[in-house]
Amino acid sequence: MRLNPDHFWTYSEWLFQHNALRDGAILSVILALLGFVFGYIISVVKHGPSEGFLRVSQIIGQLFTVDLPKMSFRRIFAVAKLAVKESIRKKILVLIAIFIVAMMFAGWYLDPKADYPARLYLSFVLTATNYLVLLLGLFISCFSIPADIKSRTIYTITTKPVRPLEIFLGRVFGFAAIGTLILGIMGLLSYIFVVRGLDHDHGVESIDPSGRSGETSFDNRHRHTYTLNSEGRGTTNEVKGHRHIVTKVGDKVVVGGPIDDLTARIPIYAKGLSFTGRDGEINEGYNVGYMSEYQKYIEGDSLSRAVWRFEGVDKSLFKDVMLYDLTISAFRTYKGDIVTPVGGLIHFRSIDGKVKSEDEPFKVKEFQVDRRSVRTKLKGFIEDRPADLDFFKDIAPDGNFEVVIRCQDRGQYLGMAAADIYLRPADLQFWWNFVKGYISIWLQMFIVICFGVMFSTFLSGPVAVIATVAALVLGFFGFFVDDLVETTSKGGGPIESLIRLPTQMGSQIDLDLGNEALQTGILMVDRGILAAVSQLKNAVPNFSQLDTANFVAYGYNLFGGLLARHLTIAFGYFVLTALVSYFFLKTREMAA
Amino acid sequence: MSTSTDLEPRPASFDNDPTKTIVETRNLGKVYRDFWGRKKVQALKSLDLEVRRGEIFGLLGPNGSGKSTTIKLMLGLLFPTQGRVFVFGKEATDVSKNERIGYLPEESYLYKFLNAEETLDFYGRLFDMPADVRRQRIENLIKMVKLEHARRRQLKEYSKGMTRRIGLAQALINEPEFLVLDEPTTGLDPLGTRDMKDLILRLRDEGKTILMCSHQLADVQDVCDRVAILHQGELKELGRVDSLLKIQDLTEIHASGLTDDAKRQIREIIEKSGGKVDRMDNPTTTMEDLFLEIVKESEQRPGRRGGRGGN
Repeated sequence: MRLNPDHFWTYSEWLFQHNALRDGAILSVILALLGFVFGYIISVVKHGPSEGFLRVSQIIGQLFTVDLPKMSFRRIFAVAKLAVKESIRKKILVLIAIFIVAMMFAGWYLDPKADYPARLYLSFVLTATNYLVLLLGLFISCFSIPADIKSRTIYTITTKPVRPLEIFLGRVFGFAAIGTLILGIMGLLSYIFVVRGLDHDHGVESIDPSGRSGETSFDNRHRHTYTLNSEGRGTTNEVKGHRHIVTKVGDKVVVGGPIDDLTARIPIYAKGLSFTGRDGEINEGYNVGYMSEYQKYIEGDSLSRAVWRFEGVDKSLFKDVMLYDLTISAFRTYKGDIVTPVGGLIHFRSIDGKVKSEDEPFKVKEFQVDRRSVRTKLKGFIEDRPADLDFFKDIAPDGNFEVVIRCQDRGQYLGMAAADIYLRPADLQFWWNFVKGYISIWLQMFIVICFGVMFSTFLSGPVAVIATVAALVLGFFGFFVDDLVETTSKGGGPIESLIRLPTQMGSQIDLDLGNEALQTGILMVDRGILAAVSQLKNAVPNFSQLDTANFVAYGYNLFGGLLARHLTIAFGYFVLTALVSYFFLKTREMAA
Repeated sequence: MSTSTDLEPRPASFDNDPTKTIVETRNLGKVYRDFWGRKKVQALKSLDLEVRRGEIFGLLGPNGSGKSTTIKLMLGLLFPTQGRVFVFGKEATDVSKNERIGYLPEESYLYKFLNAEETLDFYGRLFDMPADVRRQRIENLIKMVKLEHARRRQLKEYSKGMTRRIGLAQALINEPEFLVLDEPTTGLDPLGTRDMKDLILRLRDEGKTILMCSHQLADVQDVCDRVAILHQGELKELGRVDSLLKIQDLTEIHASGLTDDAKRQIREIIEKSGGKVDRMDNPTTTMEDLFLEIVKESEQRPGRRGGRGGN
């Protein structure tokens, strides 16, 4: 799993520094304008220009003067309760049975030889739950209102003092409630499935003559080695992503249950990553030719290095040892000794560079997390003179320090990104991270329900399903719109392109229409259109961004800030779909 | 196309004056169009009528005459393509008017998976009624429509008559001032029909205004104060039932215990006055009255066959 810089923005950073609030406001204005124009055009066709305008204005006015203020919680609750009963009547609880059957068979198919069984189990349950719950949300939300219209039961609702928003809110809350129930049951079953599936014991196979180390028995397709301290306590080595606590009780050595397989690491990330080139000058890191530029590389046996800058690290989080994880990759320009991993050196230094720890060599563990530690009392140098150091007194008195990595092997490269090193002060309770993963799934389900109900206010059930799925698929490809907006700088915006194409004007030549004012006007309109298109893509949800299953599966704490962002995004879609539904329900002839 | 002047609101006094109308349609018309906006059918043409407070108003007409369209326009289920319709002085599309309306649709479109209590509770909540008020109303209505024995049964297990009765109960949950009944006696047996008609009259006596449309002309005749007859979307007749049905040059005398001689003398007097006796014999009762009498007798003396009418 790759953590991108945007994953660890705080909520306020996302909202203000990265312009989420501004973009949301711009999108709202664009959608409001489009909605008004669209509604006005339809109204003009039906009622003529002046009355059409009056009617559209009346509907907007009524939203704020009557329909919103006079909403009743009791009515919303009634519609929600009905939606729950309707869903239960449709026997959707059968979904839980399907899920249980899927889990029973999964026990056969989940590869027991996998390097990280926990990751496999968690990915399976989260993905299966996610798809099932999204399908559930899709179908219950898309067919409900059309079924009411078809059976005409809607007549007995809309002839009561029920307001359009109450119909939307009641349905959405009702379906969300039933979805929550099902998701909760699935989550509980999944948790039991994962914990039971990973639980295993080992006996002791051999003990060396000193009695301090030995090997466990071969169970669950693996075995461990262990080492005990003088008090008869210790742990095994890490195999398949977990360890065991080993204790000596009398003459016997007892191996406990697995630990570290279900974790929720709370990483402290660096504020920045910088590189120096082989000549020691600052650069952006080397690109070794991969399309992805996620990681940049440093060259081996040269002055090339990567420097992470940590700021404001709280020393009270660490006592004697500071744990940190490395996920660095290697790029070989020659095969060399393929069995021996590429080596690197790491040291910690103060911001001014005067105090630094000794270089510690390491071998790159590709495709896995290298769990490492540094003692807070360590050896190093103060202005190049050897000294015994205290990490938080000498290197990072104010919590600010740098981590420097170099590549040892000549001609080889080490690749790294900002998120490839992080401190691990403590782990969060796994179950809570698991719950947060399910909250994330719930948010996706909620968005699907909102869209499903919205489309069902003006489309038939099957068409509403297609429309909802289409919206979700469009969301997945939102990045194409970004590409489009960026690449148009080569050939101009839509209007400029329309001029260039028939006149066969190459994209390298500046646009020349012989009329300065017209040309400026066209460029401005183009810029406006592209900016609007860029914002409009946010009107459909991008579920790949909302999917946080990997955080749980890979054992990272699902950051509160990220979850809060997703909550805000879900709320945004909720408001958007509620408004669209309001206008369609308000203007729809229920008996037509 | 309506003009902007059509959008003028009704005067505020409209709703407070008991002599005023509950429903008023002005030049009301409805054209159904297809997806492309092409005219499919003109369901209603320039309808002007009023439903007055405290009366039972009947809408009559054959299938496709525009009765249901008129009702749907009044309830805001359809929007007019011409003219306006006001209910309690408000636009028909104004949701707040529904606070005072009860509606029994043609086929009691209810949720079949709910039972009677749940159904009434659901609709009670839609009127934002507090729980204690809802409980009391539900109790009274279930008794009124005689569904105590089936209050916990799902509506999908109900007979057509029972469905009709629970439909009526939901229409009355808010104690409406104005009741719209679409084919209220459809699916009811003669006993149920009589009960329904008695109930409609009772509701009228309680001060409610009722608009009903029906194919059962006898029912309309029995309960309605005024009727409108529609045909092909046009209003053909409007007025009081008694005056519309009155045959001006025909006199009907009902008398009992007359001897043949007395009958002969009456005939002579009529002829002497220049009149003409078209028919003089014993009248027949209606099939409905006969049926109800037989059922009543049967309930009083089970197992005996009545001795009317010979073979």
